[in-house]
Amino acid sequence: MFGQITIENLDYLVQGYVTTIALSLGAMVVALIIGCVVASFRVWGGRVPSSAAVFYVEFFRNTPLLIQLFFFAVVLAPNNLGITADPFLVALIGLSLYTGAFATEAIRSGILAIDPGQVEAARSLGLSQLATIRLVVLPQAIRTVVPPLGNVASALIRNSSVASAIGTRELLFMGLLVANRTFSLEPLIGVLLGYWSLTLTLSLVLGRLERRLAFAR
Amino acid sequence: MRKVASGLGGYLGLAALLVIVVVLVATGVLSQRRWEPFGDVRVWRFILEGLLVTLQIGAVALVASLILAVPLALARLALPNPFRWVVVAWIELVRATPVLALILFITLFMPRDLMSPVWSATIALTIYTSAVLSEILRAGILAIPRGEVDAARSLGLTYPQTMRLVVLPQAFSRMMPALVSQLITLVKDTSLASIAAVSELAGYARSIHSFYGNPAETYFVIACIYFAINYTLSRIARRLELQRAKEPPVTLPPELETAEVQTVR
Repeated sequence: MFGQITIENLDYLVQGYVTTIALSLGAMVVALIIGCVVASFRVWGGRVPSSAAVFYVEFFRNTPLLIQLFFFAVVLAPNNLGITADPFLVALIGLSLYTGAFATEAIRSGILAIDPGQVEAARSLGLSQLATIRLVVLPQAIRTVVPPLGNVASALIRNSSVASAIGTRELLFMGLLVANRTFSLEPLIGVLLGYWSLTLTLSLVLGRLERRLAFAR
Repeated sequence: MRKVASGLGGYLGLAALLVIVVVLVATGVLSQRRWEPFGDVRVWRFILEGLLVTLQIGAVALVASLILAVPLALARLALPNPFRWVVVAWIELVRATPVLALILFITLFMPRDLMSPVWSATIALTIYTSAVLSEILRAGILAIPRGEVDAARSLGLTYPQTMRLVVLPQAFSRMMPALVSQLITLVKDTSLASIAAVSELAGYARSIHSFYGNPAETYFVIACIYFAINYTLSRIARRLELQRAKEPPVTLPPELETAEVQTVR
């Protein structure tokens, strides 16, 4: 019966599915933190911090994730530093740094979208610096930033599959494992359905969010 | 805000540099022996061989995707509904699939003696890139004012002529920056073919470091080669974007601007 092999090995696939979700969520949180910090260096920092930020963004955006993951896997290998770097942790670090570069660019575009005159106006109306950021800057920045960050998150879910190359037991890894054991390509359909469920749900949620946040036109 | 960021940035940058140096010294990355292979011409000739395979996969996939993207975009815009849904589902599902999964699945489905992994990987990259490019092209077509199509049709041009002579040339020139950006993604994604047993640049990296025992250095050098290609491409994309921004925007009198641009007939 079609689907039988997938159902018999469902626990493996579910384990991979959960790992993919955990990896994507974790990397997205770290990437957002990196993005906020590096983007503010890029925009408000002096010469050294802003050129360091440019270097980080350009280097990580323009090299393949696979090579980055292999590099981190090698550098953080047990025989190197005396620490046991488990594949999940290596993948989390690598994906965070790779995605952080894209998040930086998205957040920077959000910061730059706000007219500095608005900040000056808010300040001269007597709003404190914190109130200016909270009431004037952030509400507008978030609206500009949500669509590009949504694309970054969707790419992250799909990119997390590359972690299988360094042995992270995520969805694609588990799917290939089950396929190898059962000599069947059927589990791979389950893998596809897993990724589709995640990315399509995300784009549905983001579409809703964008409509709610949209400027009144 | 400026002061805090610049002060903090200096310290954080210094700390990061310190951590990197400590890690590099602790792992022996800075030892000269491990860099020596990259002073050898034969190693570079070997790397160049891998680079050529990468460029071949990228070039073939790009040209094939561009050819496929046109009918895909036009089908999504103009086909009647039940057929359109099939095209929409295809484009959206392909874009929602990880490229690595696509490459591995097609390599597994194709019998080895029928098709070498290089071609399976190229087909997978073409399927993915054509779906993305068709969406970029569709956005380019939709950005063209409806009035131009109406004008072309009322001058007696047929639908294919309107597309070929009026709409597509403008849409292509509009999509150039996005196309170059997608080319960067494509070049990066070719590295995934190495997992499907294709010997391109990333695959050659494995051969080099398993021979010389210097994986970190090898991956760093290979990353720099990808960087050189992609950074050049990103500069080109940026320049194209600035050129487009300089051109005066097309403005139409409001009575010619129609709100409904969902379907181009």
